[in-house]
Amino acid sequence: QSTEFSSAIEMPDYIVKYTSLVSMDQRQSYKDDFNAEYDEYRQLHARVEGITRRFTQLDTQCRKLSPGTKEYQKVQEEVMKEYKKMKQHSPNYHEEKQRCEYLHNKLAHIKRLIADFDQRRAQAWC
Amino acid sequence: PVEGSGDANCVDEILKEMTQSWPPPLTAIHTPCKTEPSKFPFPTKDSHPFPS
Repeated sequence: QSTEFSSAIEMPDYIVKYTSLVSMDQRQSYKDDFNAEYDEYRQLHARVEGITRRFTQLDTQCRKLSPGTKEYQKVQEEVMKEYKKMKQHSPNYHEEKQRCEYLHNKLAHIKRLIADFDQRRAQAWC
Repeated sequence: PVEGSGDANCVDEILKEMTQSWPPPLTAIHTPCKTEPSKFPFPTKDSHPFPS
């Protein structure tokens, strides 16, 4: 029954759902929505951040060593081990990362709208 | 294709994939902004400048 052409427009749902704020009630409801997903976002973010940091460390080590050396081989094995471990602990890592990116953009969008609203109100008082 | 070199490619791929830059987390939305600017606690009562 929907007449939306979402696939043609390619716009994230939150852009359509959250538009410029006009009232304090709306501000509260946007903020509630933000907070409702913020914890999930932070958890996902922390997990991806930890994993990214670990692999960045290994990458840095790899770059310092010359290929062919024992140390280099060791770090390479460490990368494989770490990757397998990650796959085991978070088999849905990629989905989680994507979800986190989506939430990041969505929450940033809501936050920006609230900040704009606050700024307009502050200016109105001056 | 030696097994070792296959691994090396694999490791390169993994590192490329897993070290993509990751932005710092968004901070929470701060306390609700004051609804009225007149909410400052002016000590109006019990403060008589000229005590009788």
